[in-house]
Amino acid sequence: MKDFIIPWDDDRDLGTPAAHGEPVTLTIDGFEVTVPAGTSVMRAAALADIQVPKLCASDNLEAFGSCRLCVVEIEGRRGTPASCTTPVAPGMVVHTQSSKVRKIRKGVMELYISDHPLDCLTCSANGDCELQDMAGAVGLRDVRYEAPQGGELANHYAVRNTSGEANPEWQCKDDSNPYFTYDPSKCIVCNRCVRACEEVQGTFALTIEGRGFDSRVSPGGPLDNFLTSDCVSCGACVQACPTATLQEKSVIELGTPSKSVVTTCAYCGVGCSFKAEMQGDELVRMVPFKNGQANRGHSCVKGRFAYGYATHNDRILNPMIRDTIDEPWREVSWQEALDFTANKLRGIQEKYGRKSTGVITSSRCTNEETFLVQKLTRAVFGNNNTDTCARVCHSPTGYGLGQTFGTSAGTQNFDSVEHTDVVIVIGANPTDGHPVFASRLKKRLRAGAT
Amino acid sequence: MAHTIVTEGLMDQAFIQERCDWDEFQEYAEFVSQDRHSPEATELLTGVPAAELRAAARLFATGGNGAIYYGLGVTEHSQGSTTVMGIANLAMLTGNIGREGVGVNPLRGQNNVQGSCDMGSFPHELPGYRHVKLPEVRAIFENAWGVEIDPEPGLRIPNMLDAAVDGTFKALYCQGEDILQSDPDTKHVAAGLAAMECVIVHDLFLNETANYAHVFLPGSTFLEKDGTFTNAERRINRVRRVMAPRNGFADWEITQMLANAMGANWTYTHPSEIMAEIAATTPGFANVTYDLLEERGSVQWPCNDNSPDGTPLMHVDGFVRGKGRFIITEYVATDERTGPRFPLLLTTGRILSQYNVGAQTRRTDNVVWHDQDVLEIHPHDAENRGVNDGDFIKLASRSGETTLRAKITDRVSPGVVYTTFHHPDTQANVITTDYSDWATNCPEYKVTAVQVSPSNGPTEWQEDYNAQAERSRRILPAAE
Repeated sequence: MKDFIIPWDDDRDLGTPAAHGEPVTLTIDGFEVTVPAGTSVMRAAALADIQVPKLCASDNLEAFGSCRLCVVEIEGRRGTPASCTTPVAPGMVVHTQSSKVRKIRKGVMELYISDHPLDCLTCSANGDCELQDMAGAVGLRDVRYEAPQGGELANHYAVRNTSGEANPEWQCKDDSNPYFTYDPSKCIVCNRCVRACEEVQGTFALTIEGRGFDSRVSPGGPLDNFLTSDCVSCGACVQACPTATLQEKSVIELGTPSKSVVTTCAYCGVGCSFKAEMQGDELVRMVPFKNGQANRGHSCVKGRFAYGYATHNDRILNPMIRDTIDEPWREVSWQEALDFTANKLRGIQEKYGRKSTGVITSSRCTNEETFLVQKLTRAVFGNNNTDTCARVCHSPTGYGLGQTFGTSAGTQNFDSVEHTDVVIVIGANPTDGHPVFASRLKKRLRAGAT
Repeated sequence: MAHTIVTEGLMDQAFIQERCDWDEFQEYAEFVSQDRHSPEATELLTGVPAAELRAAARLFATGGNGAIYYGLGVTEHSQGSTTVMGIANLAMLTGNIGREGVGVNPLRGQNNVQGSCDMGSFPHELPGYRHVKLPEVRAIFENAWGVEIDPEPGLRIPNMLDAAVDGTFKALYCQGEDILQSDPDTKHVAAGLAAMECVIVHDLFLNETANYAHVFLPGSTFLEKDGTFTNAERRINRVRRVMAPRNGFADWEITQMLANAMGANWTYTHPSEIMAEIAATTPGFANVTYDLLEERGSVQWPCNDNSPDGTPLMHVDGFVRGKGRFIITEYVATDERTGPRFPLLLTTGRILSQYNVGAQTRRTDNVVWHDQDVLEIHPHDAENRGVNDGDFIKLASRSGETTLRAKITDRVSPGVVYTTFHHPDTQANVITTDYSDWATNCPEYKVTAVQVSPSNGPTEWQEDYNAQAERSRRILPAAE
């Protein structure tokens, strides 16, 4: 079954979540594929490098089956089932590219595009839009829907109709959140944002208001905007959105990123992996890395959005020295600052002894940096005067678990919570302090743990 | 809970017999079975209803895989270490150790607090939690570094500050931590720093500690350097440089330059070489290399010849120390008491949008959610004091006093008030005291007796402090 062990740096969206059943073999477009029972036809196809067009499916969400783009034909079955909601079966023979399903998909896309502004070139999602990609994938060449004779074509994107009256279906953009905007005129009501808020984050801040053509995504009641709603700004909805409806303000301002680097968040102890998406040396956005083994593709408001301090004007970029703290700082060269410091430290050690100096290491810096700072005091200062902020937070953990178990660290990985039946939380507020872990914990509680 | 589990016979006897020291267990069982530990007896002290506590104990013992997650509300107390051992006892008692879905899980506050502990940041331990008094451990580092290592443990942070006030501790190199704002009893911290002859702050910003510094070395952000962080699940994750350091150097380079200015001859050219030295000297990291991290994405320590793929779950076939050890957890009283002068209990914490001392998040748009620290107070306590929602109030303890705005809410119980410590204008730690955990000196941030009264402006201390901070932050233009 090695064909579905996915390398850690492969972050393709396989459409539906992984399943864990016994191996099942089926045929898709003439290729034999073996996947665990419970896997969707869509995911099985994706694992065999066959992309079934999709808009409402994403492999961090349960299959929803609403966009009708992922229909396939299965030999011996009637109709054209949605591949995202159809589980594989032994010996199943699937065709993802028959003329019948192509025609259906093209028709569906035509309907979507008939109610979508055609401003792709100036849209902030240009080049990073699944709707655009799918229009390409299904070969959409024409949108035939026209307004009825003498009437108006109902849509959500025109501010005014052809006779200059306000379009009652149009809603203005909500830019109340500091980090992203919600533009209802571009929404295709795929529900991904609502489901991400529920299933991934567990906040249930978003809902769909209205029915049929009137359906719109809404953050709470009619008077709410994103800022006043229950939204915790984790950004899962923005990441889930296949269009520019929910879009980072940084992307609107800077444009789409051109490269990305996988790194680790520097806020809390969850240690989420992120793709830092860049244009040259400018950070455009942070996207939680899907295969991050601590966060599994999720993030909180701090990790995803609160990186602006890195380029804040308050940052000090030159070394500074002074003889007393009543004097103003003097900016100096690195060489002068280091010589000044080394002289002072040597002088103090000569006068007061080698134990008169010490260091405090940082829990914010890297392992390598911390190692060097304690090495500095032990190998250069010649004493053991090193301590760290863990003194004021988890030093009792080190002592207590060391005494009882023999090692001072936590015993589990975060994935372990998915197998937990009873949870005790003591003296912690994970939704505020460790939000990404809290989301995983809440997910397990919704699945039946107590 | 342990009382209920033991007296009702709900413990996992097979697990305890196989995995734990049986004699110690029996002593422990006798201890927790005493009537004074029954839920009915503790209810009188804690107010937690006995029936609910018994129900929780039964559920935890019999409900399948049981996991405990805890945070600083456990550790930042006078009895923090005792509570941690109590939690460990409970997990062993119910057999909830050594497989998926169970365990004892401290939720770590900072990105690399696990790593900084692993890397020998403590005054009594070399990297890998090995005591400095052990000659065989010192020999490893003495050979690697070509120096002699002092066998005497050094000073903890509170001891450094005490020694500074006493005049025997004179210089501190403080990297990426703002002890003035984050450590308890701000006035004492300030007095300690002011008594030193050379304080070196290595940070991104002129933080509060830098007001007392003589040298400021500008630091780099996580976006500007290569390295690794270790998270709360012991997972070593790569940090990758995505842009050049705006200050010119990564932080490891700056420490190296300082060491070399003092006569050392360090020649690291990349953090992977430092990791090689860590692996060579620290058994739990023996097989960790940057190549392995590139190949695997991340790895959980211990990662060595015994577990070349790392260790997702600890204590699977036996405890690291051999037999699990039940420890008697005698009641430890908190010395901090409410009384007529300070009748309320203050507890502190943090909120979603801000992070710790706020040096980073206060400098982002996250301030739209939290632009100041407020004191949460119950409507009854507010009414007794004539405090309205949004009023300026004075918050005082025997350590000091500060002012901030009140938020009336029944999120807190009567008799308890709560605030965050994200903003230096508030300086919530002016209020907190020097009481600490009996074993480790971890400060008791979570319990301070306080009084709240109406106020019309900042305290004298706040004004003096702000004036001093403003004076201290002046920067002369660089001489050409």
